[in-house]
Amino acid sequence: MIVAGIDVGSLSTKVVLLEDDRILAANILTTGEEGVVMARKATDEALRKANISFDQLEYIVTTGYGRKSISFAKESKSEMMCHAKGAYWLFPSARTVIDIGAESSKIIRLNKNGVVEDFVGNDKCAAGTGIFLDTMAKALEVSIEEVGELSLKHKEKAMISSMCAVFAESEVVSHVHRGTPRNDILAGIHDSIAERIFGMSNRVGIMDDVVMTGGVAKNIGMIKALEEKLGTILHVPEHPRVVGALGAALVARDSK
Amino acid sequence: MEKVMSRFMELSTDPYAGVAKWKEDTGKKIIGCFPMRIPEEIVHASGMLPVVMWRGNEAVTLGHSYVHNFNCGLTRSFIDDVMKDKLDFMDGMIFYRSCLQAEEIPSTIELNAPPRHFLYLYLPPLYPGAVFRDFLIQQLKKMKENLEAWAGKEITEDALNNSIEVYNKNRSLLKRLYELRKRKPGTIRAREMLAIVHASMLMDKEEHSKLLGSLLPELEDREEVADGKVRVILSGGLCQTPHTAILDLIEEAGMVVVDDDIYIGSRYFANEVTPGNDPLESLADRYMKKTPPDPTMGDWKTLWSDYMVDKVRENNAKGMVSLLVKFCPPHLCYYPDIKRTFDKEGIPEVMIEVEHEVVSVEQMRTRLQAFVEVIRGGA
Repeated sequence: MIVAGIDVGSLSTKVVLLEDDRILAANILTTGEEGVVMARKATDEALRKANISFDQLEYIVTTGYGRKSISFAKESKSEMMCHAKGAYWLFPSARTVIDIGAESSKIIRLNKNGVVEDFVGNDKCAAGTGIFLDTMAKALEVSIEEVGELSLKHKEKAMISSMCAVFAESEVVSHVHRGTPRNDILAGIHDSIAERIFGMSNRVGIMDDVVMTGGVAKNIGMIKALEEKLGTILHVPEHPRVVGALGAALVARDSK
Repeated sequence: MEKVMSRFMELSTDPYAGVAKWKEDTGKKIIGCFPMRIPEEIVHASGMLPVVMWRGNEAVTLGHSYVHNFNCGLTRSFIDDVMKDKLDFMDGMIFYRSCLQAEEIPSTIELNAPPRHFLYLYLPPLYPGAVFRDFLIQQLKKMKENLEAWAGKEITEDALNNSIEVYNKNRSLLKRLYELRKRKPGTIRAREMLAIVHASMLMDKEEHSKLLGSLLPELEDREEVADGKVRVILSGGLCQTPHTAILDLIEEAGMVVVDDDIYIGSRYFANEVTPGNDPLESLADRYMKKTPPDPTMGDWKTLWSDYMVDKVRENNAKGMVSLLVKFCPPHLCYYPDIKRTFDKEGIPEVMIEVEHEVVSVEQMRTRLQAFVEVIRGGA
């Protein structure tokens, strides 16, 4: 049986095609203005990669911000459930999932059977999310792909005390004017996000093993900052951005 | 039925017009009472209309010149309304020392836009010992004397006893409504429940009782529509009206509210006044009741968390939704204990932070959906 999971995030739309226990294809596109159009396009591209047709899909589950707007899907599930399911499938020892996407961050606690016990998410604030990092990278004129590696080359960590994306940006600019080395500022930025996640994580508790998902998991500087703050190692999937879509596909597979 | 319900809804969503109209129609005075603990019966006995102060329906602008933006929605919005002269129809205002955020509100109003009549009471905390009760009775006497001066007439013992009866009757009707919802969850939507209780705070009690009395048999005839829904309890919203949009989200996520512990809900009509020899003493005794636990006046032995666990179990609910009003110190003070206790008892609980300005409904929707998924198995 072939199924699809679609994660319509605020920045990108991810699709995973699954046949029983085998991933057939995965695809990522920018969400853009029309969620449903891009979701279909992303699905079609994934189908082409796997050389199968849309009609062969027996069940489609969506997740993410735009999950309710995808008319060709059968069901929608919350991101908490899908990230948990995807992470547990990849790492059966996972008891905590930290997901940091473009505009959301969440911490999900699982029991040993992969059942979600509790979760916490950011509210209406960009602090501790990918957009926060993106804004800071722009302020420092560094590409988002480089920020992680560069931050590891710091000599000292600059102090970024503000949790607010707007105020943190002006703090970053002040550091630049004071002549603080760029890599030190970047390390400080990663630390401030780690602080934010740490504060949130104490509300549900962090239990090993910890898996990190979402686009920000591609940032090695962020992984290191979080590992230091949480005092544990993070397991990062090969393709952290599609874990939510994978979880949705697993929900689809199990729904049939 | 629709007519009565829409009257309640209208009053709840736009109290300004409804309350001002009552004044115009009757020629009587309106006395605003700060939420939660003012014994409205004494105002009622004076022949004036007590209304519970409400959170307005527009964005706070001018108010931010007088109050911090990290105050709760009720205090910010109330100050805003006062400064914009939107509450000019209120002849008097009665405040008391409740929480940290509300503390500066009365003096801000007295200094900058004093109403025709103004009274600040010191209501004591609920510690055991006669001294607190005696002090409270003194305060109630002071309140009565002030009201007599404002109304220009004496408040007799008979009038007080009559008002106690009127309020008790209204409480028992609201209790019947809540019993009905427990018996047939889903028959009354959460936003309807809110409007019915809120209207009771904003209109003449006898009229409200009459309308509610006519509505009840019709509500009892409604069909139950809660099949397959997850039974939950609402908690929080201590002083202020929750947004109906958020109540709708809870229901849309697949939950049905079977009972609540919110002020514009079961807290308002909890505990009737037991009539005795002295009506002020009777009122004081209702005030001194320890349940529902009041986090602004609480004694440290009566735990809110235990009370809520019992409420969940009694109602065979599967979880609790905490509506945490942003920057509400009393709720924030007790929330960690509530969270810990619910975790220990294995009862799912989700916290939704609410504020005057509705923001990021989608985040709330996701959280509520995930909460339902966790209750249904979490896999």
